[in-house]
Amino acid sequence: MSTSRHVIAEKKRNRSSWLLSLPTVIWLTIFFLIPYLVVIIYSFLTPDTYDVKFEVSFDAYRQIISGGYLKSFFQSFKLASITTLLCILLGFPVAYYIARANEKLKNILLIFIIIPFWTNLIIRIFSWRIFLSYSGVMNQMLMGAGLISQPLEILRTNTAVVLVMVYVYLPYMILPLYSVLEKLDFTLLQAAMDLGANEVKSFFKITLPLSVEGIFAGTLLVFIPALGAYLIPQLVGNQKSLYVGQIITYKIKNIPRNWPMASALSLTLLLLVALMLLIMYGMYRYHKNRRKY
Amino acid sequence: MQPLRTKLFKGMNLTVFSLVMVFLYIPILILIIFSFNDARIVTGWQGFTLKYYKQLFQNRTIQEAFWNTMLIAGLSTLISTALGILTALGLENKRFTGRKGVLALIYTPLMMPDILMGVSLALLFNFTRVNTGMFTVLIAHITFCISYTAIVIQSRLEGFDYSLVEAAADLGARPSYIFWKIKFPLMMPGIIAAALLSFTLSIDDFIITFFTSGRGFDTLPIYVEGTIRRGTITTINSLSTLMIGFTLLLVVLTKRVRKIIISAM
Repeated sequence: MSTSRHVIAEKKRNRSSWLLSLPTVIWLTIFFLIPYLVVIIYSFLTPDTYDVKFEVSFDAYRQIISGGYLKSFFQSFKLASITTLLCILLGFPVAYYIARANEKLKNILLIFIIIPFWTNLIIRIFSWRIFLSYSGVMNQMLMGAGLISQPLEILRTNTAVVLVMVYVYLPYMILPLYSVLEKLDFTLLQAAMDLGANEVKSFFKITLPLSVEGIFAGTLLVFIPALGAYLIPQLVGNQKSLYVGQIITYKIKNIPRNWPMASALSLTLLLLVALMLLIMYGMYRYHKNRRKY
Repeated sequence: MQPLRTKLFKGMNLTVFSLVMVFLYIPILILIIFSFNDARIVTGWQGFTLKYYKQLFQNRTIQEAFWNTMLIAGLSTLISTALGILTALGLENKRFTGRKGVLALIYTPLMMPDILMGVSLALLFNFTRVNTGMFTVLIAHITFCISYTAIVIQSRLEGFDYSLVEAAADLGARPSYIFWKIKFPLMMPGIIAAALLSFTLSIDDFIITFFTSGRGFDTLPIYVEGTIRRGTITTINSLSTLMIGFTLLLVVLTKRVRKIIISAM
């Protein structure tokens, strides 16, 4: 008797869970999943000056495979990787420093990390243009100090793209690293050092392995947006070697339009991201299993 | 406990931390300083002026873009937070048969570059022959905000203290009473964090708006990008300074907001 009443209550609860989630599920199906179907369909159509022609064509994929676009994928991949690596190298000491600070200082330091993050992205990129430009602040300061005799041309280079990407995405690396390091049991370090391990050894044997989760999370948060970036390469990058995000945008916005090409490039980018996620997941699983023994 | 003998790392960490702080704040500081600079292009200091702030308040296009931004951010925050609350309450049931599927659907958009959502929505609106404008931008913003609001509110419910709810039920409180008098107030910090997050994300977004806005409906980031492209940048510095000031005011002055932000991260 009581079990059947329990089953009925359970069923009712399950149904109300479905009803509560339904609006979001419907919304994301219509505006997130179905649009990808449209992208898949469009990638097999024929481009038209302003629109698409509903005639099947494989030209877009043929062009991607034949090479021209692979270079820009390679470049985006390379710059996003360098950015991620620099974010780890810079973010780790910063996160560690905040995690080891006292309670009161901790919150203030965190706010300092978050403020740029809550400042408009396009404005932050724009401020770098002022700083880096040929007659900009940095060059004037360096020349004023007598360190250089001619202005450096950093703006519109890959260096500028990496610099600004690190600037923009660094908080995304610091915050997850901070949250693992904060939970790290520092008595372990104490024990290791009491037993004679030096700082470097205890870092590689204890701190680093225990913060791998933060590194993985941060890498996802930095690498994926960096790979698909448009605004940063558009505003500070070298316009002779375009980023994937720029090519996709041009194919959609500029006339003559080539929406099949934009679609095929988007799907390739999606594939690349999915592959990255799989590799990361595999590495994460491997790491976790190894730690058990 | 005796302090760790980590002098080497401590010194190094402090150094890197200070350098990163300089790195994070120098461009913003320069931007603020130059918004008061009496020069058409950014070359050296030419004297203090407020004329670009005056221009800002006389510029109709900027004001229109500002109100567009606020309208979209307000509406998308309202709707995506409401949807987020419902989803979080649905996911609260751990034995919910669709739990894994719904979670996957919410998390997937976060793992893709923004540009892909922009492209796919642009093509959807083209395919269905919907005219792009305010309405399509609003749809796009709700779409990318839902994931964040649902996740933030849901993670807050994970650490929920059910003993209060059980106590109220034992004392004979009706379910609706329990929800509105106990559960909802306890969910409030999570809801505020979610709303703040989606509001900022909406104000900040460029690329998805760029793909879904069509001509004639500009938000501030779209306006700013256009101005930078056309090279008429004088008012941008002052506009940016005001926007930074707005953020600072929000973050620094309100302790409550600060706490919520930290816990939401």
